[in-house]
Amino acid sequence: MEDPLHPFELHTIVPLSLFGLDVSINKAVIMMFVVVGLVILLLTKARSSGSLIPTKLQSVAELLVEFIRGMIHDTMGPEGMRFFPLIATLFLFILFCNLLGLMPGAYTVTSQLVVTGVFALGVYTLSLLVGLKIHGMKFLTILVPSGTPGWLLPLMVPIEIISQLARPVSLSVRLFANMTAGHVILGVLFGLAISGGLLIGWLPFSFTVALYGLEVGIAFIQAYIFTILTCVYMGDAFHLH
Amino acid sequence: MPSSQDPLFAGLGQAVRIGTNLLATLMVGGGLGWSIDSYLLPTEPWGLVGGLILGLIAGIRNAYRTAQRWDQS
Repeated sequence: MEDPLHPFELHTIVPLSLFGLDVSINKAVIMMFVVVGLVILLLTKARSSGSLIPTKLQSVAELLVEFIRGMIHDTMGPEGMRFFPLIATLFLFILFCNLLGLMPGAYTVTSQLVVTGVFALGVYTLSLLVGLKIHGMKFLTILVPSGTPGWLLPLMVPIEIISQLARPVSLSVRLFANMTAGHVILGVLFGLAISGGLLIGWLPFSFTVALYGLEVGIAFIQAYIFTILTCVYMGDAFHLH
Repeated sequence: MPSSQDPLFAGLGQAVRIGTNLLATLMVGGGLGWSIDSYLLPTEPWGLVGGLILGLIAGIRNAYRTAQRWDQS
């Protein structure tokens, strides 16, 4: 049976080097290009008709926009709408990466810790910068929970530092682990179905089909969680306690 | 597509958050303690132990806070 982690290996297709940096094109890079192109194409096409009575594609796009706007309003309030372009881009990119990765033969970009890690670090650094810009040095009071007695401070500040640092870690690991684990399970079950033959193989195969449906749901939920947590962290930077 | 206020959907989002958060705080706490041990102070192994304990407290506290915030809304 094939190694279940084999599909996650990346091989250089077009070797490229920029100022000594390795920027070679591999399957993941191609998938990212495809995702970006597809999102732009679909959304411009949805927008092009611009009629009052929406076409099918237009209503899907409107639903998406309403969904993202609801997320931002719930967590950041109306002033968070400044970040709508960032949040919407993140959500659409991750959602399409997750969903397109489910196609047989495609590569799931979000199953690489590098990709999710850079997203999580970038988003978290941005939320810190926003907080520092709005509140100045007062922003450091996020490290002190409100209503802490003075003698508890030496204990509470390290705990708060740890839970702040854990934010980008949990954000990136959650998305990466969910996508990787899902694909490994699908791969293993399908391998069982193939090696089982017709006599017993239908059993793991039916599990594969059922899990595939679950994976589609997970692709959506993980994209949602990543973006809603981005909103929550941004919201924490806006409103101190 | 479910609306972002859909209770099932939002609840699923909340539930998935808590578990990974516990793991992440443990990892960060242990990692910080371990690096203090190996690079800063000659306190091996107590930095790692203390870091893990602090990470555990932070994780449980975060889970508690998330659950509490969820109860209010």
